[in-house]
Amino acid sequence: MRRLALLALAGAFALSPMTASAEEKTLTVGVSDALSGGGAVYGMPQKRAIDLAIEQINAGGGIKVGDDTYKLATIEYDDKADPTEATNVARKLIDRDGVKYLMGYCCSASTGAVASIIGREDAIMLVGTAGARAITAAGHKNVFRTRPPGDYTGAAAGRFIASQGVKKLGIISARDVALFTQYRDALIEAFEAEGGEIVAVETFGGQDRDMTAQLTKVRGLEPDAYFISGYVEQVAFAHRQAHELGIAAPRYGFSGGSPEQFLRVASSEAMEGVWDLLAIEFNADALGETAKAYAEAYQAKWNEYPTPNSAFAYDQVYVLKAALEAAGTVDDLDAVKEALRNIEVPEGVVLNYLPVDGKMFDPKGQAYISNGAFQFRDDKWAFVEELPSDAAAYSAYFQTVRD
Amino acid sequence: MLVDLIQQLFNGLVIGSIYTLVALGLTIIFGILGIAHFAHGSVAMFGGYITYFFIASLGFGLFPSMAAAMAVGALLGVGLERIAYYPVRNAPPINAFIIALGLTLIIEKSNLILFGVDQIIIPTGFTRVFNVGGVTLPELRVYILAIAAVLVIGLTILIQRTWMGMAVRAVAQNRPAAVLMGINVNAVSMFVFALSSALGVAAGVLVGALFAIAPGVSGGLVVKGFAVLILGGLGSIPGAIVGGLVLGVSETFASAFISSAYKDVIAFLLMIGVLLVKPEGLMRRSAAR
Repeated sequence: MRRLALLALAGAFALSPMTASAEEKTLTVGVSDALSGGGAVYGMPQKRAIDLAIEQINAGGGIKVGDDTYKLATIEYDDKADPTEATNVARKLIDRDGVKYLMGYCCSASTGAVASIIGREDAIMLVGTAGARAITAAGHKNVFRTRPPGDYTGAAAGRFIASQGVKKLGIISARDVALFTQYRDALIEAFEAEGGEIVAVETFGGQDRDMTAQLTKVRGLEPDAYFISGYVEQVAFAHRQAHELGIAAPRYGFSGGSPEQFLRVASSEAMEGVWDLLAIEFNADALGETAKAYAEAYQAKWNEYPTPNSAFAYDQVYVLKAALEAAGTVDDLDAVKEALRNIEVPEGVVLNYLPVDGKMFDPKGQAYISNGAFQFRDDKWAFVEELPSDAAAYSAYFQTVRD
Repeated sequence: MLVDLIQQLFNGLVIGSIYTLVALGLTIIFGILGIAHFAHGSVAMFGGYITYFFIASLGFGLFPSMAAAMAVGALLGVGLERIAYYPVRNAPPINAFIIALGLTLIIEKSNLILFGVDQIIIPTGFTRVFNVGGVTLPELRVYILAIAAVLVIGLTILIQRTWMGMAVRAVAQNRPAAVLMGINVNAVSMFVFALSSALGVAAGVLVGALFAIAPGVSGGLVVKGFAVLILGGLGSIPGAIVGGLVLGVSETFASAFISSAYKDVIAFLLMIGVLLVKPEGLMRRSAAR
């Protein structure tokens, strides 16, 4: 009996080097995203974009790491954009599935929860659409994010509004969502630095859909223009009510909703001419050929047009590929982190990243993309021009904040 | 400045009229049965969803859909009373309280399962905007004020002028005496729930037409409804009317003259103030009990 066991053990040892020296290996990455519930409008497209990128990379021969070639595979879980759920998913992926690379992450609350514990874990986290500044500002060495924080765009937006000849600006924005308040504060600072005057800062809460009181008040102060920001479900009401109140001054904003989402609430006349000032997420008009190819491939695979945020997740996969190839290892996470920190903007990514010191990620693992001004014309968001963005200056400031 | 003041008054009255409709439903149930019916907001949202379903899927007009939804709401109200509250009518009040909380969850989640998470806006086609001396009056908001006024007047006539209304008032004033006079208290409670739920549905439809029906909206509506109840006096119908309008206007004026950041705070400060100075509520005589 004992001899039999020894024999089996010897057999196992004899077998294992054979599998390890096989030409082709599989690297399994974990995907945590909102696949159901309210966040699914961001999470599902991210998951699909990741699947698409992996399919393309595998079809193109996989990832060459040292002498080995790796094909990618995923384990995907639904975190429902919920902090508790997302933390459980991260635990499951790291402890049970033994995954070392986590990606996806569409939503700020769930991602923030995972980011707050990931610093102590032996894993690398690639964040997509989640916009809260603290996710990377906290400075964990193993967190990297493709989407810039909200206030980075806010500063560019403030300079842009001033450049449009606006001297007095009235602001109405979401009261208690960090993404919007940070953007707004950065906008105010940049706008005032350009010599502009803020006549009022009014706010609305999470379920408010009646902004007539705020709009009437700001209207009485006679600003040259309005700035309205928050989630599209609420901001659309503000535009409808502004139109009803006969407000003719230009309305700038930040919310990133699709034309359909706005038009469900506000009429075409109410929306015509409204500006949305945001980071240029995926947009085939504003970006180049890679973006068009991405849109075609996505549509072919999933039979729908990619959402603007999906490219943040698509690019995660190509970033990981480049970093693994540069590091020459998949197991030495410190080497991979070092490689991520030093890579240039890799080939294959869709978005227009603005490198800081020639590198894709700044010292806190944050990437920056260009910002753009979009205007609502004939029931569509038309790309008008790039905003004056300064990634290096923002990054220098970003290194000094922690939340 | 005067134009803005009138504009804000109008804005506040429209919101206040919706608060009034919500509070009326809550107040008649509280006045007669002593139940804090937290599920009222979810019933209102359910009514909004049903109305949208009638319009979008069955092609009914707005007003027939609203009437049909109010009828469905009335039936739902009777069902709630029979199934949930009737069995605990003689139990300690805490039982009805727990049941009210349970019902809120059940109806809220049923709405979620049946109608999804996206916000729904009831299409009305009322998009014109009237302009009277610089004050803008969107057509839809004017109609909402009018519909609320018609419903309030209708309710007042029903309570003051009909036999059933008299029975309702009798039970509210003195339940044992009403029973001794031969009033069927069971029928009265069913009637009250039907009436209250129909009013709630009407409020839900107005919210859905002017703003949107979505998960999470009902909670805010009920909180405001109870604030109005305390402001106006628990169980008082005139109190609900005046309280709703006062709350709506004071919220709007708070936004206009102080800051929108403190809108909800000011509404509740007002409520605490009333409780301190006139604890029985604005419209209730202190000798009423």
